[in-house]
Amino acid sequence: MPPQLRLNAVAFVSPQNHPILIRTFSQPRQDELKYHYIAHTSLDVIEERIAAANATKSTECYLGLLYVEDVAVYGYMTPLKVKIIIALELSDAVVRDADVIAIFRALHTAYRRSVANPFLRLNAPVDNVADHAVLLQAGSARWNGFRRRVDEVGRSAGVVNA
Amino acid sequence: MNSYPPELLAQLAPVMFVAGLGAPQPPTSPQSPAPKPQDPFSVLALRLKDVLQAQRRPAVWQPDKSKTFQVVFIEPDVRFPPRKMPPAEDQQFLPTHSPLSPLTPSSPLYPDGLIAPIWIRKHTTLVPSVFVLFKRIYEYQRPSGGTPLDVPDPDHEREREAEERRRDTELAQEIAQRKKSTNERSIKLTVVLMASRRMLDDPALDTRLTYIRRQSGLDPRAALFVLSPVAPSEIGDFVRSLQEALWESALEYYTNHSKRVRRKRNRHTQATSAYASSISPSGTVAARPLRPEGWTVRYEYKMACFAEFRGEDEVALKHYQDAYTALQVMFGSTAILPPRTKRWAEARVLADSISFKICKLYLYNNEHSLALANHSMHMRKFGDLCRGWGIGEETFEFWGWVARQHRAFAELLEQGTRTTLKIPTYLPSSSSAASTIVSQPADSQRSAVEMESIRSLGLNPTQALQHPGFYYYMAARCTESRRSRFLRFLDDYSPENAASTPPSFENERKVDHLAIVLELYTRAYELFKKYSPTNTQNLGRQTLWIAYRIAQTYYESGKFDMAARFFERIAKTYRREKWDAMLVPLLSTWYKCAQQLGDMELGVQLLFELLAHGAHSADDEPDGIQEDLLAVLQSTVPTELERPLVVDLVDAEPLLDSSLVFWSPEVKVDEHAVFQLSLSASSQTIISSLPFSSLTIHFDGPAASITVVHKSSDDGTDSLVQRVDLGQSRVGSEDGDEEPRTIEADLRWRPHSTLILTGALISAVPATLTVSKLVLTLKQNSWWIELPMQSTSTRNGTEPTPQWLISLEPPKFLPIRRDPAQPVSHVTVRSRPHSVQVKLTHHSPPYLGEEYPITVEVTNTDDRELDIAADAMLHPSEVEFAVNSISADKDSWTNLIKDIPFGTLTPGVSAVRTLYLQSAGAAADIVIDVSIRSRVPKSDAVTQISPIAPKSPSLTADDTTETLRTLVVQTIDPIAVKHDVIYRRSMAPRPGLADLATYEAEFGADGVRAEATVSTTWTCVGPHGIKVETVKLIREDGSDAKVINCTIDEDAEDLVSDWLPGDEFGDRCRIVIGALAETAENAIPGPGMYEITWRKLLPDSGQGSLATSRFALPPLKPPVDELIALLDVPTQVQLHVPVPMRLTVRNLRQSGAANVVVQVEFDPADGFVLAGLRSGRVPLLLPGGEETLVWNMIPVECGYARVPRIKVTDRRMLAGGVDAQDHDGEAVSVVDVRWDGRSEDGQERLRDVSAGKGAVSDGVVLVLP
Repeated sequence: MPPQLRLNAVAFVSPQNHPILIRTFSQPRQDELKYHYIAHTSLDVIEERIAAANATKSTECYLGLLYVEDVAVYGYMTPLKVKIIIALELSDAVVRDADVIAIFRALHTAYRRSVANPFLRLNAPVDNVADHAVLLQAGSARWNGFRRRVDEVGRSAGVVNA
Repeated sequence: MNSYPPELLAQLAPVMFVAGLGAPQPPTSPQSPAPKPQDPFSVLALRLKDVLQAQRRPAVWQPDKSKTFQVVFIEPDVRFPPRKMPPAEDQQFLPTHSPLSPLTPSSPLYPDGLIAPIWIRKHTTLVPSVFVLFKRIYEYQRPSGGTPLDVPDPDHEREREAEERRRDTELAQEIAQRKKSTNERSIKLTVVLMASRRMLDDPALDTRLTYIRRQSGLDPRAALFVLSPVAPSEIGDFVRSLQEALWESALEYYTNHSKRVRRKRNRHTQATSAYASSISPSGTVAARPLRPEGWTVRYEYKMACFAEFRGEDEVALKHYQDAYTALQVMFGSTAILPPRTKRWAEARVLADSISFKICKLYLYNNEHSLALANHSMHMRKFGDLCRGWGIGEETFEFWGWVARQHRAFAELLEQGTRTTLKIPTYLPSSSSAASTIVSQPADSQRSAVEMESIRSLGLNPTQALQHPGFYYYMAARCTESRRSRFLRFLDDYSPENAASTPPSFENERKVDHLAIVLELYTRAYELFKKYSPTNTQNLGRQTLWIAYRIAQTYYESGKFDMAARFFERIAKTYRREKWDAMLVPLLSTWYKCAQQLGDMELGVQLLFELLAHGAHSADDEPDGIQEDLLAVLQSTVPTELERPLVVDLVDAEPLLDSSLVFWSPEVKVDEHAVFQLSLSASSQTIISSLPFSSLTIHFDGPAASITVVHKSSDDGTDSLVQRVDLGQSRVGSEDGDEEPRTIEADLRWRPHSTLILTGALISAVPATLTVSKLVLTLKQNSWWIELPMQSTSTRNGTEPTPQWLISLEPPKFLPIRRDPAQPVSHVTVRSRPHSVQVKLTHHSPPYLGEEYPITVEVTNTDDRELDIAADAMLHPSEVEFAVNSISADKDSWTNLIKDIPFGTLTPGVSAVRTLYLQSAGAAADIVIDVSIRSRVPKSDAVTQISPIAPKSPSLTADDTTETLRTLVVQTIDPIAVKHDVIYRRSMAPRPGLADLATYEAEFGADGVRAEATVSTTWTCVGPHGIKVETVKLIREDGSDAKVINCTIDEDAEDLVSDWLPGDEFGDRCRIVIGALAETAENAIPGPGMYEITWRKLLPDSGQGSLATSRFALPPLKPPVDELIALLDVPTQVQLHVPVPMRLTVRNLRQSGAANVVVQVEFDPADGFVLAGLRSGRVPLLLPGGEETLVWNMIPVECGYARVPRIKVTDRRMLAGGVDAQDHDGEAVSVVDVRWDGRSEDGQERLRDVSAGKGAVSDGVVLVLP
C-alpha cells in the first residue's frame, strides 16, 4: 500500500500565464509566497513539456513530474490551456502517475464547474467564450465557490491512495 | 568537493612507475623554451614522457574503461616505502604491520583510526602496480671515418664484444637490483632498452638481449622491450602496446592485494575476540584500539579501492556499500565513535566520500535514480544521526554539512555532464498504459517485469535526477539556512556562555556565507540557463527566480547597485505576467536598495508602484507606503528641478482604475458624443493624502485638453462617488484652436471612492475619438511628479466593466455591453448620409424576348452637390433554360453593370438613366439590385478634410452613401402556343421490295407512312397586347418528315394585326412522314417553326421594341400498325355509276407473314350491287407486303348507303392448327380511310368527332341521283 500523497499547494494559471488561484494546504501557512514562486518557475518546465508534446502530437493533459525542490511539482494542462500545478510533499516512495492524474482530474473538474458559473459573466462586457478575464475572476476574492471546491479536493487528496 | 580530501574522491586507476626518462618534471615543462637537445634519445625520452603523461590525468569523473595507466615518473633508484615495520624485538611472534596500520604506534591512525587519505596516496604515488625502466643499451661507437664496407678488424671486433659483454653485465646487474625490490612487492618490472635504429639491425642484438634477460632474471613475457628513436605517432602506438602488455600484470597486482586483504578480513572476523582480549590489558582509555567494526570498514574500503584500481566498478560498489554499512553501525553507537572527536570527524569525512563514490559508480552505470536515492539516503541517515549528536536542523553546522553534500553532488553531476552523463527527462508515460497496469491485481509475487511496470506507473520524486543547477540551488538554499542559523546563534551568543559554543564556531565566524551563497546561486544560474530551452527569447522563469535570489543576496551583502540592476530586469517579467504576489516583495526590497543608493527618483517611482499594488509596508501598516512617500517628498529634493519626474506605470498595475465609456459607439458629424470618465481607487489603494494638484485630459485628435484642478470639497459629504461636468469640447472646429479649459474638482481619493468626469465631444468631421491619456500631476515642495495614465486601465490583465452612472443619489450604474469591435472607450464620428431619391419605372411584366426598359431616376434631395453613379446587378435565375441579361446601352449585355454615370447633381436636380432587361428561354423571377452611390465631389471634399485628423483617413476619404433598390419582376411569355396533331394512314402504294426507286435520295422514295395534320393555336396571354408584324412558317424539311402546305402560306395577312389579351389565332399544316421513319423509336422532330415578330403594346399607346418569338412544330410520333386493312370508297357517288371499292391489306409487322381471308358480307338491303370477290384468300403477305382488292360497286339507291361489310381475318396463327375450320382466325380491323385520323397513342379522333357510331363506322356513301 503506497503511502498517502500530501498535497501542499495547488496553482491554476491562465493560458496567458497569469495566476488564477493559488491555494496552499501545508502548515504553517507562512510560506504561501514560496508556492507562488514554484508555480511561476514551473511554467518554464511546462512550456518545455508542451513543446515536446507538440512535437510528438501528443494530446496528453498530464505533464508529469516537473521538478523536485523540497516538494515534488507536477503539472497538468487542460485542453483550453489552463495550467494546473500541484506541489506534493516529498516522501521516499513511488508516486503513481494514476494517483496524481486523479488529483488533477478532480481539480480540473472543480475549475470547470466554477467557471461555468453564469454569474461570473454578469458584468462581462462581451459574451465571449474564450474571454480569459472571466476565468481570472473565478479565482478572485469575490468568488469563493472555486476556492471551496479546490479546498475540498485538497482535503480529499490525502485519501487518494487506491 | 573541495571540502573533501581529493584522494578520497578521485577515480583510481592502475599506477605505473616510469623511470629512466630523466627527472620528474611538471607537465607544463615540454612547452618551455628550453633548448631542444639534439640527441635523438633525449628527444625520444621527452616525447615518451609527454605521451605517458597524457594517458590519464587524475580526475573525479573518469568512467572511461580503456587500458590506461596513471603514470608516475620517478628516479630509477627510487625506494618504496617500507612494507612492514621492523618487528619489535620482544614481539617476534606478533605479525608485523604496515607503517599506516592503526596497530603501528607511529602511524597517524594509531590506535583507532579507520583509513587515511595517506593510504590512498601511498597506492597512487608511492607504490606502483608495474614498474617500467627505460635504459640505453650500450652501443659500440664505430671509429669515425670508417664505412660499413670496411673489412672488420678482428681485433676491434673482439674488443668490442668484450666491451659489450661488460656493459651488458652491468646493465643486467642494475636491472636485477631493481628486480629484487619490485619482486618483494610482486610488482611487475619491465625494461625498455633504447637502442639506435642501426642497433636493431645488428644480428648480435638478440643474443645480447637474451643474455641481459637471463642475467637480470626478468620474466620471459612482456618484460623486455627495445625501442629506437621513432616518430611521435609511433611512440603513441608503443605506449599503447606497452600498457596493454602490462595491463594483466597490473590487474594481477591489485587482485593479489584484494586477496590478501580478504584473507586478513576473514581471519580478523574469526579472531575478533582474540584481538580484544590481547589488547585490553595494556590499553589506557585514550589508546583504545580500533574496534572490529572499524576493521571491517578498513578492509572493505581497501577492497573497494583495489577493485576500483582494477576498473571493476560493480565489485568496488559492493565493497564501498559494505564499508558504508559498517560505518553506519559505528556511527550508530556513541560508544564506538564518540561525537565531536577527531576520529569521529574523520569518519564522517570518510562516510561522505564513500557515499560520494557510491553515487559516482551508480552514475557511471547510468543508474540515476539509485545514485540520487543513495545521495538522499545518506543525507537522511546522517541528518538523523546529527540530531542525535545535537547538531540537528537548528544548527548552522548541520546546514553547512547539507549544503556541502548538495554542492559535492552538483559538482559531480556537472563534471559528469561534461563528458558522458546524460540527465534523464521525466515525461509521463501514456496514461492508458498506466491504467491497464493499475487494473491488474497486485500479486504478492513480484517479478522483475512487474517491478519494471511499477516504475512505469510513476516515479519516486526523490529519485528523479535533475540537472546540477538544482543541486547548486539546494546548496545555496542550505547555505542560506546555515547563515540564518548562524546569525540566530550569534544573537544569543555572549562571551559568558562561550563554553557551550560548538567547536566550529570560531571557524564559522570567518566564513563569508553570502559570498558562498552568491557563488552557488551564480553557478546554479548558469546551469539553469544552460539547461533551459534555447528557443525562449527572454530569460526563463527559473533563471529569473534564481536571479531574484542572487539579487536578494546582493542586497543582504550590501551591494545595492547590483541588486537594483537585477531587480529591474526581473520586475519586467513579473509585471508582464501579473504575478503581483511575487512582485510586491521584490519592489519592497528594490525600494530599500534605492534608499540605500540615494536614488530618490527611483524610490518615488517604486513607492508609487507599491501603492498601485496596494502593498502594505513592512510593519503591515496599511498606509505605511503612503506615509513613506509623503516623507520622501517632504524631506528630499529631486535631482532635476526644471522638468517633472514622470512616473509611468506602463506595465505595472494602475494607481487609479480608470474607465472611459462613450454612450453610443457612433455619432454623426456635429452631434454630441457624450462620455463618462471614471477614476476610482480600489479598496487596497491608500492614496487619500497624496496632494495631487491637477489632472489633465488629452484627447485623441485636435481637441483642446482639459485640466481639472484640485479644489478640496469641504462640504463634508461622505459620498464615494463624485461627479464633475467637463462640458462640451469641439474637435477640429474651423475657428482656430479652442483654449484649454480648466475645471475644478476634488482630486483626493479615499479607498473605494470614484471621480466621474462627464462631458461631450463634438466633431465637425468624421473621426474616431477617444481620450489619449490622462496625466495626474503632484507638486510638493520641489517635487514635480507627473503620472501618465491610460484612459482605460487594466488591472490583473482585465479591463474594468464598462458602466454608466445614471444616478448620483444613490449612485447607480448601468452596465454597458457592446460588440468588441466597437470598444466603449472610442466613439466613431461618421458623416451624415446623403439624401438621394431613387425611382425605378417600368411596365411590368417584361415579356420574354423583348428588351424591357427600366428607367432609373435619381434626384438629389440633399443640400450638397453630389456625384452619383449606379451599379446594377442581375441575380442569377434559378429557373432552368431562363437566360437573362441586362444592359445600359443595348450593346453589351451582362449580369453586372458598374458605374452607370449620373454625373454631378446639384441639389434638387434629377437624372434619368435607362437599363434594359432581356430574358429568353423560360419565364422566371428576375431580381435586379440597383445601388446608387453618392459622393461629395472631390474638390469639395478636399477642402473639408485637409485641415483635420489625418489619423482617420478611412473615415473621411470614404464619405460615400449607398442607396439600394431591389427590383423584382416576373417575366412572361406573351404568346401561349398549343399544338394538336392528327395522323392519317397513307394510301399511297408502297414501292416493291426490289423497287430501284427506293434507292433515290428523294423524300418519300420509300413510300409514305402517314400524314400528320398539325393545328397550332396562339393565344395572347400577357396583360398587355402585342402588335404582330410578321408570321411565317420556316420549313426545315428532314428525311423523315416534310411540310406539304399550311394555311398561313395563304392567309398570313389575317394574323398580322394587334393581338389583344385573350385573342387566339391558329394555323394548320400538313406534314408527310416517310415510311422509313417507322423504324425510328423516338419522335420525329417537327420539320419547321413558326416565327412571329411583335411589339408590346404599352398602356400609354406606345410600342415596345421589336421582338421575335419562335415556335417549333411539335415532334411527331405516328402510331404504329401491324396488320391492317384499309377500305377506300368515295364519299359521294352518282346513282348507277359504278365506282370502285378498294381494300388494301398491309402487313406492317416486323416479322411474321399474314394469311388473310377476306369475306364480303353482302346484304341486299345495302343500296349497292357489288361485283368482285365475295370470299377468298389473299396471297400470303410477307412483312412489309400489301395486297389490294378492288370491287366495282354500283349504287342502286339514292341517299346514304351503307358500304357492304367486309370482314378480314388473319388465319396465320391457325395455319398449322388442328381445328382450323372451327375458328375464324383473328379479325383484322378494316379502316375506312375517309375517317382515318388518330392521335399519337392510336386513339381514333375523327370517327368519334363525327356523328354517332353505328352506320358511319361501317362506312356510308352518299349516293346522288
